[in-house]
Amino acid sequence: MSQKRQRAGFYFILPWLIGLCLFTALPMVAAVYISMTDWDIVGNAEFVGLGNYITLFQEEEFIRSLWVTVRYAVIAVPLIIATSLTIAVLVSKNHKGTGVFRVIYYMPAIVSGVAVAIVFKWILDPSYGLLNGILAFFRIQGPDWLYDPDWVLPSYLIMAVWGAGGGLLTYLAALKDIPEDLYGAAMIDGANTLQKVRYITVPLMTPIIFYNLVLGIIGAFRKFTDAYVLGGAGKEGNFYMVYLYEEAFGHYRMGYATALAWVLFVIILLLTFVVNWTKKYWVYSE
Amino acid sequence: MGRVRLVLWYIVVTLGAVIMLLPFAWMISTSFKAESEIFTVPIRWLPSRITLQNYVKALDVVPIFKCMLNTLIIAIPKIVGEVFVSALVAFGFARFDFKGRNTMFMIMLATMMLPYEVTMIPTFMVWSGLGFSDSYVPLVLPAFCGSASFIFFLRMYFETVPRDYEEAAWIDGARNLTVFRTVFLPLAKPALVTICLWSFMGTWNDLLGQLIYIDSQEKYTIQLALASFSSMTGETLWGPLMAASFMALIPVIALLLYAQKYFMEGVKMGGIKG
Amino acid sequence: MKNMLSVRKILGLTLVLAMFTGLLSGCGETGKDKNTFTFATWAAGTELEEFQAIIDKVNAEANGEYKIEVLSIPSDYYVKISTKIAAKNCPDFFWMTQELISKYAQMGALADISQQFQNSQVLTPDLYYEGVIASAMYNGSYWGLPWIANPLIVYYNKDMFEELGVAMPEPEDDWTWEEFLDVCRAFSGKQYNGNTVYGTVVDGWPNIETFIWAGGGDIIAADGQTILLGDEAAQKGMGYLHTIVKENLSPRYAEVASLGDNNVWFEKQRVAMYFGGMQDNFETKVAAMNAEEQFEIGYAPMPMCDDGGAWSFDWTASTVMAKSLEGNELAYRALEAVTQAFFEWKIAPPVKGSLDNIVEINPRKEGAMDTIAYTMEYARSANYIPEWSDINDKLWYNLYVSLLNDADFDYKGKMNEIQQYSEELVSKRK
Repeated sequence: MSQKRQRAGFYFILPWLIGLCLFTALPMVAAVYISMTDWDIVGNAEFVGLGNYITLFQEEEFIRSLWVTVRYAVIAVPLIIATSLTIAVLVSKNHKGTGVFRVIYYMPAIVSGVAVAIVFKWILDPSYGLLNGILAFFRIQGPDWLYDPDWVLPSYLIMAVWGAGGGLLTYLAALKDIPEDLYGAAMIDGANTLQKVRYITVPLMTPIIFYNLVLGIIGAFRKFTDAYVLGGAGKEGNFYMVYLYEEAFGHYRMGYATALAWVLFVIILLLTFVVNWTKKYWVYSE
Repeated sequence: MGRVRLVLWYIVVTLGAVIMLLPFAWMISTSFKAESEIFTVPIRWLPSRITLQNYVKALDVVPIFKCMLNTLIIAIPKIVGEVFVSALVAFGFARFDFKGRNTMFMIMLATMMLPYEVTMIPTFMVWSGLGFSDSYVPLVLPAFCGSASFIFFLRMYFETVPRDYEEAAWIDGARNLTVFRTVFLPLAKPALVTICLWSFMGTWNDLLGQLIYIDSQEKYTIQLALASFSSMTGETLWGPLMAASFMALIPVIALLLYAQKYFMEGVKMGGIKG
Repeated sequence: MKNMLSVRKILGLTLVLAMFTGLLSGCGETGKDKNTFTFATWAAGTELEEFQAIIDKVNAEANGEYKIEVLSIPSDYYVKISTKIAAKNCPDFFWMTQELISKYAQMGALADISQQFQNSQVLTPDLYYEGVIASAMYNGSYWGLPWIANPLIVYYNKDMFEELGVAMPEPEDDWTWEEFLDVCRAFSGKQYNGNTVYGTVVDGWPNIETFIWAGGGDIIAADGQTILLGDEAAQKGMGYLHTIVKENLSPRYAEVASLGDNNVWFEKQRVAMYFGGMQDNFETKVAAMNAEEQFEIGYAPMPMCDDGGAWSFDWTASTVMAKSLEGNELAYRALEAVTQAFFEWKIAPPVKGSLDNIVEINPRKEGAMDTIAYTMEYARSANYIPEWSDINDKLWYNLYVSLLNDADFDYKGKMNEIQQYSEELVSKRK
């Protein structure tokens, strides 16, 4: 293709570029400045240079909430991808009623975080919750879940798995694009279902897995709503964003909270770079 | 697929579906309970007597249907803008090799990584300074510049389209927009339907953004209506809240049921290729 | 695809839609009159309808002198308030809870109303209960007009006391915290209506102030500087909480939430006594129950603290005014009128001589009136300072929750630690 045609691409991305300048860039630049002040939202801001960034690395709560979040992300991101991919493969076949099943598995994603949190408060209740009720049926004494520091992380993982259907749409859309004749050819070669999944489905799904991996990392590090509503014993439910939000709107330290946000930004950005770098080794592309 | 495996499939899928549905079942069941039955020990799964009083009360407290309509006024132009513009931009990122493309794509990804909570106030200050207070404009207008996560998703999608597929069109002398319209948009139909749904649900479930920008009650959206069931000096009306939440869920489920059939219509690119 | 719209058509449609939404919502504010004031409230839903009715009445009585408009914030109240203040779009009047008044005053968001308040012909500081008005004071100035008080009293289940043969407290009982614990012990582990019952329920509620006062101590001294957590008296007070946890006089912390909220334990007759605000409407709830679930409610004041006062923690909210209106006579008149109108709305009115309003607001409170009258004299809020949100965080996460989870927790050592932490914070105040 000619140089000229390549340049046309620029015109296609122009609307986004305009949006970046108009709506995104200004607040982001402002956020850089705010992170170097002691702004309390309501009153005046005083320039403190890198003071917030220096304070931050000395704060015990910063380290702790980051650790809570990293630990969650490391387990939850692959867990969610594996679960939603499994669900997608399960409901991609056209049997009677598949459509309804697709909608059902996707349903956790359509309710707002607050509603999910309220419902899980009941499900995870130590004494009378649904989960411990089921465990009791099998004569297992269930844990205290969100009230026991050791069980806070598993509680959030259960919620994550329950909501894993949220990625379903992307996987389904991609699964539909896998040419049937590939499966046909594999069948002739005598491949079984697992082999078909391993050698055809997964490789062709890698672009969408990549997409979900990047968004999954962003989502895990920015986990907020349900954690904010539910909390967790011993501050084990104090995810990074909950800490940030509390600093900003609970203690009116917007300058410090914005510095926290930029640190989070850098962490996610670095992780994205790493993931992006690995892309060429495992992501299928035409 | 053999008969045994089909039965097995149904068992597995149904079991999973039951788990997914339990919280919803609890919500719906609660919405039909009398107040005294909402918090009981042990949990009562079905109301002993079905009552509609929560629905009557919910509709009495806030004009739910009006709020749904208001949300649609925001959601529909937003969908049109977000989906169409995102597709255009994604096409640009996926199919052209202009200078600075990768850098700009990284910048775009980066805009998703800074928490909204810290840019919210500066953004609000700008809109407020422009005179847009108590207005839907700040909620809708940015959508017409595309959405970063949608662009990312569509670019991924467009990149898997075989090169030779569009090359033919270009050799025919078709213009870029024509290729976009005749080749990529139809191919991406399942993906476009997907982001339509996302865009809609994003608006339907957004509380903080709408809370900040909307003041007057005539402009309340469904999430603001739901938030009205609890307050600091009043009591949380659990029954009516569940009833209202269920009502708010119905349009979304309906839309999802309607849209899901498009996933089965996906164009088989490989089929055309081979 | 033939039926697909052309790109140009879609672009055109997009643009039209964008403009349409622009027109629909109108651009910006219409010029606001100088005698129109916006009042931001967290009231929403049914409560908002009542609020609107009060404002309508005040507007009618103002005869056009001023007009108040309502701005309801149904969620994340202070996020929106602070965001609006940051954007120079502050509501003229708004409600503010007592813990935040010193903070917002220090940040320069509130109007100092001391002058107008003290010189008023209508509503002056001495009309308020002393402990209540203190909640609107910081640094020697008044920053708001309290409009609601909600001090704690002890609600108890008369039927349960009778059935299990425990002597009931009097409506104006001068019982001590030790005596209160003894009553709890009398219920502990007993069966009632087929359930195991407890004396009371403690799960972070009542708040830590209540327990620290119980020993005759306090958290922050009246000077707004000195921290008292390390004092013998404050630690003795926490000892009462320690006893409740250690002797299982309350259901386990992890168990309390299973019934929804802690008050449900009282409503479902699982605990004998409950520390509730005067405003709690157990009477209405019980009246709505099936006959076999109903029970008779008794009332007692808070147990007497070791310094001889039956201190009752009071939650008070004030109506405050934006800084930009400081000294504005018309605005203050409107603020005053609307605050007074609230006295007939919620329990309990924070001004003396208004106890009769309570029975008018809720006739079912009749039986509680003796206790309420007694308690109002002891109603007080803590001395909140701008650093309170940080101190409170530590008190809650590092002290209260830790103690609830582990009866052997070294709460005294932790209090000394928080004492130091708080002193450091205060010393850094600008």
